[in-house]
Amino acid sequence: MRLLEFDYFEPRNLEDAVTKVREFDGNYQIIAGGTDLLTALKQRLSAPAGLVSLDHISSLKDIWEEDDVITIGAMCTLEDVLSSSLIAEKLPALNQAAWDVGSPLLRPLATIGGNICLNTRCRFYNQSSFWRSSRDTCYKAGGNICHVTNKRDSCVATFSADIPPVLIAHGARVRLAGPKGVRTLPLEQFYTADGRFPHVIMAGSGEILQEIEVPLPAPQVSCVYHKFRMRESIDFPVLGVAVMLKLGEKKSGKYCEDACLVITGAEPAPVEAVQAREELLHRRLEPGLLARVAEIAASEIHPIKTSLISPRYKREIAKIIVTDALKKAGGIEE
Amino acid sequence: MEKTIRLTVNGEEKTLKIGVQQTLLEVLREDLGLTGTKKGCNQGECGACTVLLDGKPVSSCLLLAVKADGKTVLTIEGLAQAGELHPMQQAFNEKGAIQCGFCSPGMILVAKSLLERNPNPSTQEIKEAIAGNICRCTGYLQIIEAIRSFVS
Repeated sequence: MRLLEFDYFEPRNLEDAVTKVREFDGNYQIIAGGTDLLTALKQRLSAPAGLVSLDHISSLKDIWEEDDVITIGAMCTLEDVLSSSLIAEKLPALNQAAWDVGSPLLRPLATIGGNICLNTRCRFYNQSSFWRSSRDTCYKAGGNICHVTNKRDSCVATFSADIPPVLIAHGARVRLAGPKGVRTLPLEQFYTADGRFPHVIMAGSGEILQEIEVPLPAPQVSCVYHKFRMRESIDFPVLGVAVMLKLGEKKSGKYCEDACLVITGAEPAPVEAVQAREELLHRRLEPGLLARVAEIAASEIHPIKTSLISPRYKREIAKIIVTDALKKAGGIEE
Repeated sequence: MEKTIRLTVNGEEKTLKIGVQQTLLEVLREDLGLTGTKKGCNQGECGACTVLLDGKPVSSCLLLAVKADGKTVLTIEGLAQAGELHPMQQAFNEKGAIQCGFCSPGMILVAKSLLERNPNPSTQEIKEAIAGNICRCTGYLQIIEAIRSFVS
């Protein structure tokens, strides 16, 4: 399948990019690495009049540490993230999550900003136009029926990005440049939980993701990302979990001072397992507790059958990967 | 919309007028006649379209040619020198790592790039490097063996 024709712009700075986006009045797509966008365009999931490329905005390609914040430009490729010694040392879970995205042939192209802005996915949506033509256009593709829930005017497509859970677990913020200026917001507030327009940019804010700011984790913080997928070599997550633990030490052993568990692959937005966190807080890390926390986390997600994987199976997988991630983050031997 | 780009393909500088909607794969195969780079899934899953972009293996089907402007591209056609196969091509031949040959250009380029970055990869590292390339004939063992033959 070839791409349809479009206009292509390569602004040299963010202001010009924001202006160009405004000129298109919604009929555009921003292209970063393009690895996910090109597949969608080939499948005719959208047909924008113009693409605005961020390739030539050099200020979006740096990674640096300043005042206990690590800032990552949105146009850093996953390979840039993987080869950054700063990230390997200070944010190893982010390194792991970047490694888990796509294949080695995509990571030199795909960007961290692209993963954060990744569209949600569904078995009725991510198909060729020919495949989709056998039934009414689904709500996400511009029709008015959801083939998963059989309801009108709603979309339950699944959040499938690997990197955001780790960033949310670390308390990261995103900086967005838009027509009204620049603003930063906690990454979890970037997501709308609407499968059709999963984040504020897709919802039409006219903004561009500029950079991600991650507070430098305290020395007692340990964060891991665990991903379960059907093909180990290249695949979106069936389910993935980022677990951040801030550990304290008492005579009786390690205990949890603070925690954050964020799950991807379950709902239209990343899910923070807040009850699981409550269960962990101020408790000693022992196998019984971890199993209980994993049960609670699994009950906090509400998967819907947007892929060939059943919700029940996802819940079972959640218990396993949350337990494994807790053990690893807590430094607990098998 | 058309655009003029400059590419260094297999050591030769080219100035090309392309449609901005063309992928690098389409430019290589259709505008330059370099059909050694294969079109497989066309969705970035199979790795048949692998080329080295500034030395790094990438799926050329998911890269707009306009994004490769000013960069260096190596395709399978650029490996053999003066009629002599590249040592990696010879190793694939000798180890029986070729059957239908559709994945071979991508596999060989990935292997070459791996050894340039890491001359002594472990078997695990070899498997990780070729994780984006699908072979449906050999079962991968001969391919891994061919790459391992360079490891001391």
